[in-house]
Amino acid sequence: MAQAKPGGERQVLESMYSMIALVFILVACVELCDAATVVDVYRLIQYDISGAPFGSRLANLNHHAGSLQFAPGSDLSRTVLIIPLRELNISFVKEYITQNQPLGGLLFLLPQIFNIENRERAKSNHQTDGVELLKNDLAELEKLLIHSKIPYPVYFAFEDDDIEAVLADVKRNDATGQPATATTGGYKLVVSVPEPKKRASPTITNIQGWLSGLKTDGDANQLPTIAIVASYDTFGAAPALSVGSDSNGSGVVALLEIARLFSVLYSNPKTRGRYNLLFGLTSGGPYNYNGTHKWLRSFDQRQRESIDYAICLNSIGSWDNDLWIHVSKPPENAYIKQIFEGFSNVAEELGVKVGLKHKKINISNPRVAWEHEQFSRLRVTAATLSELSVAPELLESTGSLVDGRPFVNEAAIIKSVKLVAESLARHIYGHEGKNVQIFADNSSLAVNPSYIKSWLDLLSQTPRVAPFLSKNDPCILALKKELEDHTDEVNVQHEVLDGMFTFYDSTRASLNIYQVASVTFDLLLLLVLGSYLIVLFSFLVITTRGLDDLISLFRRPPQRKVKTA
Amino acid sequence: MTVFHFFNCAILTFGPHAVYYSATPLSEYDTLGTSVKAALVYLGTALVKLVCLATFLKVSDNESFDPYQEFLKALIGFIDVAGLYFALTQLTHRNISQNHKFQAVGLGWAFADSVLHRLAPLWVGARGLEFTWDYILQGLEANANLVLSISLAALGSLMWLRKNKPKTLIPIIYTCAGIVATMPSITSYLRRGLGWHFPEVVGFQLFTSLVMAFISWQLFAACQRPSA
Repeated sequence: MAQAKPGGERQVLESMYSMIALVFILVACVELCDAATVVDVYRLIQYDISGAPFGSRLANLNHHAGSLQFAPGSDLSRTVLIIPLRELNISFVKEYITQNQPLGGLLFLLPQIFNIENRERAKSNHQTDGVELLKNDLAELEKLLIHSKIPYPVYFAFEDDDIEAVLADVKRNDATGQPATATTGGYKLVVSVPEPKKRASPTITNIQGWLSGLKTDGDANQLPTIAIVASYDTFGAAPALSVGSDSNGSGVVALLEIARLFSVLYSNPKTRGRYNLLFGLTSGGPYNYNGTHKWLRSFDQRQRESIDYAICLNSIGSWDNDLWIHVSKPPENAYIKQIFEGFSNVAEELGVKVGLKHKKINISNPRVAWEHEQFSRLRVTAATLSELSVAPELLESTGSLVDGRPFVNEAAIIKSVKLVAESLARHIYGHEGKNVQIFADNSSLAVNPSYIKSWLDLLSQTPRVAPFLSKNDPCILALKKELEDHTDEVNVQHEVLDGMFTFYDSTRASLNIYQVASVTFDLLLLLVLGSYLIVLFSFLVITTRGLDDLISLFRRPPQRKVKTA
Repeated sequence: MTVFHFFNCAILTFGPHAVYYSATPLSEYDTLGTSVKAALVYLGTALVKLVCLATFLKVSDNESFDPYQEFLKALIGFIDVAGLYFALTQLTHRNISQNHKFQAVGLGWAFADSVLHRLAPLWVGARGLEFTWDYILQGLEANANLVLSISLAALGSLMWLRKNKPKTLIPIIYTCAGIVATMPSITSYLRRGLGWHFPEVVGFQLFTSLVMAFISWQLFAACQRPSA
């Protein structure tokens, strides 16, 4: 019994020690986020093309804030410049980037109209001149940033009251000529994220929907097919904000509506056409239509040959009266003539103009500017319907920051849908040249504006940069489900994006803005407190023990020496 | 440089207690044991107050001033006074003069109060990057609290330990003690009812603590004279 007790006591002591140790560890680890302001920020894209680096190469940020009113000649290598878009001087930024001037970081403040998460923005007035200028500035800035290699972090944020107040403060401090450093206080911007890593094996997902035509007993061969294709993924300066409402959200929405209309027609065997319809939502659009290429390669020769022609939709959301049909086969080609005439007739009835543009393809050049070129390379007749009159450059018109919901016109998409659906239907049912309205307004086959609006709104809130979409991303599953509703058979194809492009993750983060006091302030405070305590000490000694005691505190050593001598 | 700031605020909050102990004759008479015992008594009273507050008080959502709740809080605040009474009278001290006893008890009381109420926020908050004036103001509040505790202990010792007091001074002593004891209620009324900001409340506390200290010093000296 006597031996059990000390053992028990020891156990209690040990558990107490471990409790105390745990408390100490917990106490030491407590690090609350106590920033005055926390802002959502979106990082500039970081990517390599064949090993050549582009975009912002760093993500971590821990520097003082500065504004454009900095004193000329000051060292900015440990400063983050906060630049609102409204005060942007593009030549200044260009100079800084191209001359590789050292900078701690860049933070661009964009007006709320470009914020994809802002529900109010679609209703705001987007036709004012001010917005046009801002759009142009932002487009130019994006182009500059995407094609430069920037060795410091670049972030985008949206204007709100907190950050505006911080910026006003920073400007005021800068105007006095003192740059913010550790000794002068100011604001510190901190973003702590792990080092950006490469996205290994980014997948691109193609979704196809097949609507079978009416096969009568007399048909021995396969029915001919008409394909309608649109690429749904985007690429922009800030991948977390690349929603691409016009490029190519408008194309996707138009494709879905056309699929819906034809599914209504094809649901009844009496109105089912003698053509199969193939709807393709392809990915990898900005990267030379890599996904379309892989999708077409997955068909066998017979299926490819059965495709009569393909219509690719690209950016049909913000045009007024002019659309373009881009082809790679010469315009004298009989098929091209037929397609173009069909479209022109319907266009005339709708009161719009359709033009034909021919661009030869160069097999040796890997650059694929339009989606129909991938079809043409495999000997399939195809054309692209677009509001753009000139072929875009690589990574241009692929869903940038300026491509947002307020700048897309539902009426334009509705007109495009009418144009394409009517032309296709007249070809399928053999009513070419006749004045008959299959998809007339106020009929059961009318184009549904609320369907278009709701899908456009949804796509304008969903960033769709392909390397950052997983195989089962909700966006991809939603598109798949929608096609399943309208078509007979849906297939999903997952491929790996070609190795020429490499992407790095870390696309959005939280920025903490701390108001920091300078080191001199802390030293001053220490001095004040030290003197306060000394004064308090002397006061207490004098009042309770008398002045002699205070003096005797400083006089002890000499007295001892006298004694020993 | 934020551990630096924590260090600064810590010496502002706890420095005066150490300075008081070493500067006055308390250190010569080795009254540390009394202070420690007073601190433990404070812990006990804090626990009892917590239980009473939890049992009797409703939790309100808004920061407004509810007179009934504040009255209840003031009543529970008198448990503080009871604790002080216990510390002054019941604890067996060695033969220390009354003068030093109340100082030691007041010091231990104020130190325990500072540690309990201010150490945790200081450790968690002052070490961050963000700079606010709150922790410096909290330190000043701790100083005011020290002065108030010592004056309350002085008045308490006058009330309960000194047997022969001049008759005229007794009501003054009791009113002053009452004012000092209800100081927490007064500050919370100022903060919530009148909407004063933290710096103004701390300024008020510093001012009243100095005034109360002066008054209690005069009372103590006045009571000292007949027996001298």
